[in-house]
Amino acid sequence: MTAFTGEFKQSSPLTLGVELELQLLSQRDFDLTRAATDLLGSMDYDGRFGEIKLEITESMIEVSTLPRATVDGIASDLDGLRQTLITQCSRNNIAICGGGTHPFHHWPDRRICPGERFDELYSRYGYLAKQFTVFGQHIHVGCTSADEAIWLTQALAPYVPVFIALSASSPYVDGVDTLFQSARLNAVSAFPLSGQCPELKDWAQFVEHFHFLQDCGIVSSIKDLYWDIRPKPEFGTVEIRVCDTPLTIERAAALAALAQSLARHLLRTRPAINTGLQLHVARYNKFQACRYGFDAQISDPLLRKQIGIKDWLGELLDQLSEDARELKCSTWLDLLKVSLAAESNDASWLNEQQARHKNLNDVTHAAALLFASGATDKLGENKQ
Amino acid sequence: MVSSLLLPLRTAWGTLQERLFFLPPFPDQLDSLALFSLLLVVGLLVGEWLRAHLGWPKVIGYVLAGTVFGPSLLGWISIEALAQTRPVADAALGLLMLEIGRRLDLRWLLRNRDLARATLGDIVLSFTTIFLFAYLVVGLPPAWAAAAAAVTMASAPAVVLLTVEEFNAQGQVTERIILHTALGSAAAFVVFAVVVGIVHAQHSSDWLNAVVHPLWVSFGAILVAWPIAALALLVARLLPKRSLAQVFILVATALLAVGIARMLAVPVFLTLFVMGAMLALRDKEKTLSYTSLPEGHWLLAIILFVVVGASLPWQQFTWITGLQALGLLVVRALAKIGAFAWSGGSLPRAKRILVGIGIQPLSATAVFMVYELAGLYPEIGRSALALPLFAAAIMELIGPALCRFALVRAGETTKDSSQKGGIA
Repeated sequence: MTAFTGEFKQSSPLTLGVELELQLLSQRDFDLTRAATDLLGSMDYDGRFGEIKLEITESMIEVSTLPRATVDGIASDLDGLRQTLITQCSRNNIAICGGGTHPFHHWPDRRICPGERFDELYSRYGYLAKQFTVFGQHIHVGCTSADEAIWLTQALAPYVPVFIALSASSPYVDGVDTLFQSARLNAVSAFPLSGQCPELKDWAQFVEHFHFLQDCGIVSSIKDLYWDIRPKPEFGTVEIRVCDTPLTIERAAALAALAQSLARHLLRTRPAINTGLQLHVARYNKFQACRYGFDAQISDPLLRKQIGIKDWLGELLDQLSEDARELKCSTWLDLLKVSLAAESNDASWLNEQQARHKNLNDVTHAAALLFASGATDKLGENKQ
Repeated sequence: MVSSLLLPLRTAWGTLQERLFFLPPFPDQLDSLALFSLLLVVGLLVGEWLRAHLGWPKVIGYVLAGTVFGPSLLGWISIEALAQTRPVADAALGLLMLEIGRRLDLRWLLRNRDLARATLGDIVLSFTTIFLFAYLVVGLPPAWAAAAAAVTMASAPAVVLLTVEEFNAQGQVTERIILHTALGSAAAFVVFAVVVGIVHAQHSSDWLNAVVHPLWVSFGAILVAWPIAALALLVARLLPKRSLAQVFILVATALLAVGIARMLAVPVFLTLFVMGAMLALRDKEKTLSYTSLPEGHWLLAIILFVVVGASLPWQQFTWITGLQALGLLVVRALAKIGAFAWSGGSLPRAKRILVGIGIQPLSATAVFMVYELAGLYPEIGRSALALPLFAAAIMELIGPALCRFALVRAGETTKDSSQKGGIA
C-alpha cells in the first residue's frame, strides 16, 4: 500500500479517467461466479486501453481507462476494454455485465481475491468485505493543483444526488426488489469512513485532517477514505465515487461527460460553496436519490426548501451545454437529456425486464446481452 | 452368521405364532423402506466420520460402508437386498446423469476450440491406451478389451458432481472437469453401444442381435429421453421459473424416464444423460435452466454409493487382477493427464493437468455398464470384465480423493465447506 506523503501530482486540467467494476457471471444461471483470477491469469492483453485488475471478491473485475482529454477517448477505451473482456470471458464460458448490484447472488458464497490488501480488508471488515460485492463507476477529473482539487471536491458534493439518479442501476438485492433505484450505496455506507468530505479550506488543511485520522489509527492510506468524492493525489484528480456501474459503457461515458462539463462549469464560474451547511443535508439528499431516482426531492440548505431533482437536473444540463460544447462532449450529454426526458435510467430498465420476465436470472441474462451488444439506440431506452 | 443369531428369535416367534393367530410369519427379509433407511444411516455415518476426521470426500465413506457390510465382507447386505435397492440406485444415478447431461455446454466448445482438441485427445488417448493395455498386456480378446476400454475411458459423473458440490468448488478447473466429464461420458456411451454389437457378433450366431441391440441401446435411450424432455419443458413452461413446482416436474419426469428405461431394458444412465443433454440444448427460453435438483438428491446418492460399494465383487479379488487393474488405471491416468498437458485452451498447463487429475474418478456408471455387458454373456463376461470392474472398485476409493485434490490445489474450494453437501 502506498503511504500518503502529502504530495499531489498535478495533471492537465479536466482530463478524465473512468473505472468500472463489472460482474462476472456463470453462463449457466447468470449468478455471480468465481472467475477473476483465472480470467486475468489467462489473459494476453497489452494494456492499450487501460488496466484490467482484480477487485475485492473473485466475482468482480475492475477496468480503468487511460487518462484522456476527451469523453470520446474514454468511450473508445471503454469499448476496447469491453471487447477484450468479452473475448476472454467467452473463452472461459463466463458472462459479464454492468449494474450496481447483482440481483440475486448469495453474498456468503463470495470468495475474497488473493492479495495482501484484500486479506487485510477481509480481516478488518469481516463479512462487510464480502457484502461489498457491489459495482460502481468512479470518474476521475484532472486538477492542476492540490488546492483546486480540494475546492472541486467540495464544490461537486451538492451534485452527488444527480450522479446517483442518472447512474442508478441496483434496484435488486438478495433476490428482492428493494424499491431503491440504487441500493448499492447502502452497502458502501456500512463502512466507517464512508460519507462526505468535511469542510476544508485548502490542501494543507486536508493533509492536516488526514494526519489527524492517521494519528488516531483510523486510516493508513487515502484508499481508506470511502468518501463519495475524494481527492486522489497520486493521480492528480478528484474522484467521483457515487455512481453505480451503468448497464452500458455508453452511459458510463455520458456520466464522464457530465463530470467533465460540471467540473469545468464550476471551475469557470467559481460559485460560493458552503460545505458546512451542505453536510447537514447531504445524507438526506443521497438517500432521496438512491431511493427515488428522478423522483427524488432534494433539500437546498441555502434556499431552505425542497426542489424536485428532475427540474434541477434539467436546468443543470442546460447550463452545462456551453461547457460541453467547448469540451466536445455535447453528444454524450445529450444522451443524459434524453434519459431525463424519458425519466428512464438503468434501474427502470431492470424493473421493466423483471416485469417482463418475472425472473431475476433472465433479467441478469438480459443485462449481460445488453452490455455485450453495446447497442443502445437512445440512452433513455436501452435496447437489447 | 446373521441367521444363526436370529435362530432363537425365530423359534420363539414360531411358538408365539401358534397362540397369537394375528402374527405374520417370521419376517425373514427386511422391508424395503427399513433397508433403505439402514443403508442411509450406515453410509451417512461412515461418510461423515471420514470427512470429519480425515477430510476425505463423503462418497468414499458411502462406498466403504457398502463394501464392508456387503456380500463380499460382513454379508449384512445380502445379494437379494441389493436387488431390492436397485430401483433406488437407478433413480439416484439417473438424477445425477440428468444433471451432468444438463451441464453439457457444447457452445463453450465452439467458443474455445482448444477445449474441443483437449477433450478429443482425452477420448482418443484414453480409449486407445486402455484397449492396447487390455489386449496386449492383459491378453483379453479384442471385443472384451474394447468393452473394458469403453467402460473405463470416461470419468464418473456422479462422483465429480458430488465432490464439486460437497466442497463448493467454483472456477475454471471445476467447470472444465464437469465439461470434460460430460463429454467423456457421451463418448463412452457411443463406444459402449458399438461394443455391445461387437460382443454379440463374437458370441452370438444370430447376427440380428449384433445389429439391433446397439441400436436398441442408443436409439432406445434417445426415443425415451426425447419425448420426456419435451414433456418436461412443456409442463415447466406453465410454471414460474425456479419454482418448487418446476423442481418437482424435473424430478418427476426424470423418474418417469428411469422407469420407462427399466421397462424397455435401455440403460438408465444413458437415457437420463441424453435427457439432460436434450434439456440443455433445446431449452432456448431457459425454462428449466435455472431449476436445480433438490438437496434431497444427496439421500439417493448415499444409497447409490452404498449399493455400488456392496456390488463390488471383492471375494473374487486376486493379486493378478488387482495388479492388472492398477496397470489399467496408470495408463488411463497418463492418457488423461497427457491429453490436458497437450491442450486445453486459455488455462496455464499446471491447471490443465489438474483438470486431468480431476477427471480420474471411475465409478457407478462404469460398474453399471459392466453389469449390463456381463449380463449379455454371463459365462464369459464375468471373467472378461473383472479387469474394468476391479479398476472401478479401486477408483471408487481413490477417485473422489483425486478429484478433491485437483479442486483444492486449484484453489477453487471454499475454506469452510462444512455446510455444503446438504447433510453435513
